[in-house]
Amino acid sequence: MTLVDFPAIAISAAACWGLGSLLQIPARKLKPASIASWLLMFGGTGLLIWFLASYWIALERPPLRTLGETRLWYATLIPIVGFLVEYRWSIRWLKYYCMGLAALFLGINLMHPDVFQKALMPALQSVWFIPHVVVYLVAYVLLAASSVAGWHNLWLRFRSKSTPVSESMSHYLALLGFVLLTFGLVFGALWAKEAWGHYWTWDPKETWAFISWLAYLGYLHLVARKTNVTTLQWYLGLAFLVLLVCWFGVNYLPSAQNSVHTYSG
Amino acid sequence: MPSITKSTNTVGAPEGFREAALFTVGSIVAGFAIELLTGGSGISIPGWPANFLFLAAFATVIAVTGLGMRNHPAVAWLGGIPVGLSLIIGLALLSLIGGVLPQDPAPAGSIVARLRLNGVFSGWPFAFVALLFLFNLGLSLIWKAIPFRPANLQFILFHGGFWLALSCGLLGSSDLQRLVIPLYEGKESDVAYEMPSERPIRLPYAIYLKDFQIDEYVPQFALYDPSADRVIEEKSRMVPEVRKGALAVWTGIASATVVDFMPDALPGKDGNPVLAEGRKGVPFARIRVEVAGQPPVEHWINGGGPEINPQFFPVGNYFIVIASGPPKAFRSHVMLRGNDGQRRIETLEVNKPVDFMGWKLYQMGYDEKAGKWSTMSLVEAVNDPWLPAVYLGFFMIMGGNLLYFWKGVKKMEAV
Repeated sequence: MTLVDFPAIAISAAACWGLGSLLQIPARKLKPASIASWLLMFGGTGLLIWFLASYWIALERPPLRTLGETRLWYATLIPIVGFLVEYRWSIRWLKYYCMGLAALFLGINLMHPDVFQKALMPALQSVWFIPHVVVYLVAYVLLAASSVAGWHNLWLRFRSKSTPVSESMSHYLALLGFVLLTFGLVFGALWAKEAWGHYWTWDPKETWAFISWLAYLGYLHLVARKTNVTTLQWYLGLAFLVLLVCWFGVNYLPSAQNSVHTYSG
Repeated sequence: MPSITKSTNTVGAPEGFREAALFTVGSIVAGFAIELLTGGSGISIPGWPANFLFLAAFATVIAVTGLGMRNHPAVAWLGGIPVGLSLIIGLALLSLIGGVLPQDPAPAGSIVARLRLNGVFSGWPFAFVALLFLFNLGLSLIWKAIPFRPANLQFILFHGGFWLALSCGLLGSSDLQRLVIPLYEGKESDVAYEMPSERPIRLPYAIYLKDFQIDEYVPQFALYDPSADRVIEEKSRMVPEVRKGALAVWTGIASATVVDFMPDALPGKDGNPVLAEGRKGVPFARIRVEVAGQPPVEHWINGGGPEINPQFFPVGNYFIVIASGPPKAFRSHVMLRGNDGQRRIETLEVNKPVDFMGWKLYQMGYDEKAGKWSTMSLVEAVNDPWLPAVYLGFFMIMGGNLLYFWKGVKKMEAV
């Protein structure tokens, strides 16, 4: 399967998520509606998993090189975080945000289509390629979910409807995201040593990865200081912006002219 | 990284944060003041053994202060979270400058150069903040490590690893040698160049380049629009590969089928390509082009090389062109000969460096203008005596991270 099939897959996945979400309204009272709703929501993500797998086969390399390809992974993974959160904490609202974000990222890919390109530059042909990028992507997905949860928790607080469980959930998503962010950073350093001769060169992407890591390190220290929950939710809500700069924005900064990470653009 | 403490809403802004923020801002301002006074010359870290002696003395001061003055309010404050947090923010803000502004030479006398905003990571503000951060981190580490309790292992591994990686990475940077060795096929060289000064340095070993090879991806063909200097997108949004039978459709313009393909060929006497030996040849493709309302035509095209002119096929205002595939892998077959007499035959390839006499040798590049015909190979030689300490730090961080994950999952299960 190639990018020619992508629009149909993306629209079908978004339609599945949308219909599945709508069916959640009668699902509380009607068991068949609940089953149909979950089948549709899982189906939307299943379609993307199927597309990713067949795209990987067609490309003859992991589809992890371009920004468009990372967005595709992101759109596939983030609804799964929403489903798992509902399964673990019985929090129903996060999955809607997650599916909404996934649809948004599919929309960005539809507006900025990639070119089907099999070539993988020699520096990327490494055993570190998949672990480094996948660990980072899962971290980004978890931290995006924690950010969305942070904003929703602020809204709940505003309406005096906050619950300790939903606030703990945003924290644990951030914690897991930070753990993976740390692994991603260290894996990147170890790979850089093998590929480029040094583990750290303050390349703009590395610098922004360090800034994002420090941002979440700061969050964890605020938690340790027993900072009030509203501040923490604000922090989580905003911290993701730094990750977005690291992911997309860095390519547009003046510093990026000589970046070794420009292949990911 | 702190152990997880469930946050409460009883406290407003973090306690003691204002003084800590002032402390951090003060150190950054002092750093920039030094840069202004010295014309943005930055900090030059002394090499071995001075950097090691400094680090040993610094670690001793931290240990003595931390253990001997543990209850002194100023020391407790210096090793506390507010100072740590404000220094983390300080490091992030300085990194932000380095992440936005190009870290390249700037016009002398410009404000960017005078404040060394174009070399933030070797400037005084970064050095001050990093040093104070290491002091803060070191104090918190020593308090958790002595007396040792197994429950603190995660904290010790993560913080200790970060301390080791950061301190050895920064102080060891002056001992890091990264040299470029240009090699030519059939020749031996023991001269490397320090970049960007291009200062030649004689190595304790020599490298003989026996052969340099490039593997390329399959060649590609495209419809090129010379008036707009762009490639017309193929119907499937693929860059079509040159394979026998491959079809490309440029909607509303033409379609082309590869009828025959010779990966390495030279033009023959009758104009048709003949197989080439060695690496002199270029890819030739015979394509059948169909344009609506016209009979199909077949033609050979090639991308050209050092001894061959390229051949394109005109389609209206466009041309069907063929290009070599991007490089898939490149490698140098070399013989390494040390001053001590040892000899080794090795292959240098991207992502597969070779260790020799304490140096790591990397396949770095080649003559890109010559492409696959390059007989020159660029090798990078790297010597980093501080690497084991930095890697120990990395592995400690990962160990602490795993424990943190484990503890986090345990706590999460309790929610």
